[in-house]
Amino acid sequence: MKMLSKRLIGVIIVLIGVIALVFVMLRVIPGDPASVLLNEHVSQENIDRLTQSMGLDKSLPEQFVDYLGHAVRGDLGQSYFFKQPVTALILEAFPYTLKLTLLSIIFAWTLGIISGVISAMYNEKFLDYIFRPAALLGISVPVFIVALFLQYLFYFRFSLLPLTYDTSLLSLIMPAIALGWNSAGSVARLMRSNLMEQLGAPYMDTALAKGLLYKKAVLVHALRNAAVPVISMMALQLSGMLSGAVITESIFSIPGLGKLALGAIQTRDMPLLQGTVIFTALLIAIGNIVADVLATILNPKIRQESNR
Amino acid sequence: MTKRNIIAFALLIALVFTGCAKSSGTPAGSDQAAQNTASSGTESVLKLAASTDITTMDAHRTTNDYIVPMNVFDTLFSIVKNDDGSTQIVNSLAESYDISDDGKTYHFTLRDGVTFSDGTPLTAQDVKFTFERILTLPESAQTDFAIAIDGAQELLDGNADSLRGIAVEDDRNFTITLAEPFAGFIASLATPSTIIYSEKIVTEAGDDFGVVPEKTIGTGPYIIKEWNKGNSLIFEYNPNYWGEEPSAKRVEVTVMEPQVMNMAFQKGDLDIIDCLMLDSAIVDSTYKTDAYKDKIVSIDRMGMNFFIMNENVEPMGDVQVRKAIQCAIDRESILSSIYEGDGKLEDGIYPTGCIGYSNENQGWLKYDPDAAKQLLADAGYADGFDMEICLDSSAIDAVKNSVQVIAQNLNDVGIRATIRTIDHASFLDHRNSGEMSSYMALWILDFNDPDNIIYTFFGSEDNAKLRSSNYHDTQVMDRVAAAKTIVDENERNSEYAALEKKLVQDDAVWVPMFSVKHLFVKSDRVEKFIPHWAGWSDIYFAQITLK
Repeated sequence: MKMLSKRLIGVIIVLIGVIALVFVMLRVIPGDPASVLLNEHVSQENIDRLTQSMGLDKSLPEQFVDYLGHAVRGDLGQSYFFKQPVTALILEAFPYTLKLTLLSIIFAWTLGIISGVISAMYNEKFLDYIFRPAALLGISVPVFIVALFLQYLFYFRFSLLPLTYDTSLLSLIMPAIALGWNSAGSVARLMRSNLMEQLGAPYMDTALAKGLLYKKAVLVHALRNAAVPVISMMALQLSGMLSGAVITESIFSIPGLGKLALGAIQTRDMPLLQGTVIFTALLIAIGNIVADVLATILNPKIRQESNR
Repeated sequence: MTKRNIIAFALLIALVFTGCAKSSGTPAGSDQAAQNTASSGTESVLKLAASTDITTMDAHRTTNDYIVPMNVFDTLFSIVKNDDGSTQIVNSLAESYDISDDGKTYHFTLRDGVTFSDGTPLTAQDVKFTFERILTLPESAQTDFAIAIDGAQELLDGNADSLRGIAVEDDRNFTITLAEPFAGFIASLATPSTIIYSEKIVTEAGDDFGVVPEKTIGTGPYIIKEWNKGNSLIFEYNPNYWGEEPSAKRVEVTVMEPQVMNMAFQKGDLDIIDCLMLDSAIVDSTYKTDAYKDKIVSIDRMGMNFFIMNENVEPMGDVQVRKAIQCAIDRESILSSIYEGDGKLEDGIYPTGCIGYSNENQGWLKYDPDAAKQLLADAGYADGFDMEICLDSSAIDAVKNSVQVIAQNLNDVGIRATIRTIDHASFLDHRNSGEMSSYMALWILDFNDPDNIIYTFFGSEDNAKLRSSNYHDTQVMDRVAAAKTIVDENERNSEYAALEKKLVQDDAVWVPMFSVKHLFVKSDRVEKFIPHWAGWSDIYFAQITLK
């Protein structure tokens, strides 16, 4: 309990730091929303008027205090371009990212764990020779290449799946695979190397000497021990994906968090970008706390240390 | 690890799996059912693609996103392009108008029986409301289109409660009085910036207007049904439309990346694609071929590219140097190699087809690197100088490639030109600051009048600064501002011609480059397609006829 409250205070400090950082950075980089909005139809009068209506004529500390004051009350302001509350826009986009992430994680983890385990069990055998290069491809081929290849294969060539997102679950299959491809590769490689290490451990000899079947020994004893580092990597992957996958979302026209943030950067929509960054930071912070709590539950060593 | 830990681990995995089955499975299933019913009867569905999504459906809050304003709303007038390339203004919501002799007072009569798609009748008060909103909305981006009206400045500055220049006589008749005569005024009423809103609908919708499709209601041929941000726009035809029923009953515009767009078109899932949105290599290798000869739809874009030099950046303040740059750029080979000859060299300020355009000053500007070197030597820069060309990273391929050639051309005459690429927002900021040293720009007409281009660039010191040309001659700029008020057509045209000659030939204020064709490719399902008269990427769906 003590650990949890300590962590929560840490989260609040991190969030305020993130807000301050993003706030200052956005105002230091060149480009302002009034210019983007007016684009080619710019006049000095209009720039001045719009700058004023966006509140950007106030001093930086004044703007920051204003913003923080509202943010504490959960009001992240209004998007300059969409003219809607930032929180509403984020909550509208997040479910798409969540759906994509979950599907992608199922794909990546299932494939990654299974191929990693098989690769380790049949080390230097036929199946290993197939899965190992596949995992290498997984971590080395960029996501847009995978996406285009999938689109060519499943849409253009065989007409099996829709090209872009059309609200159906079917249209999320390709994006999920494209996004999960890299993660699957890393999970497989980490799983394989960890498991191989455990397979060489003395307790495996004991288990086999006791008369346990090889497969059972692997699945019951070695896999359990090999899984711990893989799980921490998975937690990182999960929070990374939840903060939005810009490329995947763009290629498949998925209106998720990544696309929202990208648009906000391009148009210098400061309230919206600040909102997405804060939301992402919050997600990652919560994700880390959950991961720590899980690790404490799963691993008695950590539990004992934190009780001391 | 104990047994309990394994159970916890298994539970965790199980939780993840069941969790997603719930969150993504259930709603998606029902969505898909909706999708299936909606796309039945594909006969009259038109499928289009866009490379970026819009940010608003409200024309007053954008200077770019016109796809909804153009198709869901109407302007008082509209523009038709004739076969000879000239344009003609035709009545749209206005049934008739007349102008007083001094060119300041316009009397209009609205078309009878026009209603918005929800049945709200269109009245003259709506016109007044629309222009008042343009001037009073705090984040209005369209004030330029109302500022000519008498009393507009007072309303904009908050010194008036209503727009005194618009007098409503009855439901169908109203008078607009301008502060100064402006011959381009009727043409400016034919651009999506001045679409007419309903006072009742906009007021009732409040902040939702332009954001929520059901509340963004116009008089136009289409109704906006859905706006799925970052994904698609769905339109359906408006059964209450006053004009001819459009051929496509439903229009789906999907936001796609260039490669994806190309794949969808090749597969037959798109009806029209815009070549400017594709990679230029794909356009050249796939579409500019015999196989697509009959499917290309092209329009002469009423706009032109030019290369701007900043007079405040030394040594470009020297007119000799600017003239040298004019001679150094090989416009013809850029046009023929990068644009494959799909365009025409321009030598002035007004693009071909623009009112005030004349052939007279065409052909004076010749590619002549030797003359350029001589001019540089005369100016005291025989050894050249360092120069920076700015490039917007979001520019289309052709512009990026053109800038490469320009830099090469300049290097050939001894000017050490380097290209600096920056993102769109920074580019605009840098340009508006008046400090960008040089860049290639494009202007496409909003309405057919020379004022639309010359005033934008050379109408005032502020305007010259915002375009980073920092043109110095305030007398000429005063003449540019005054030219718009000339009522007599001949007098007006000759003044515009004189200004063009002074700016481009005498003062070498920019390097006029070319106007190009805007290419689209249509599928077999499309019988006829007329692009926007000025060659915008946004199109009027009603100008598309399906087979």
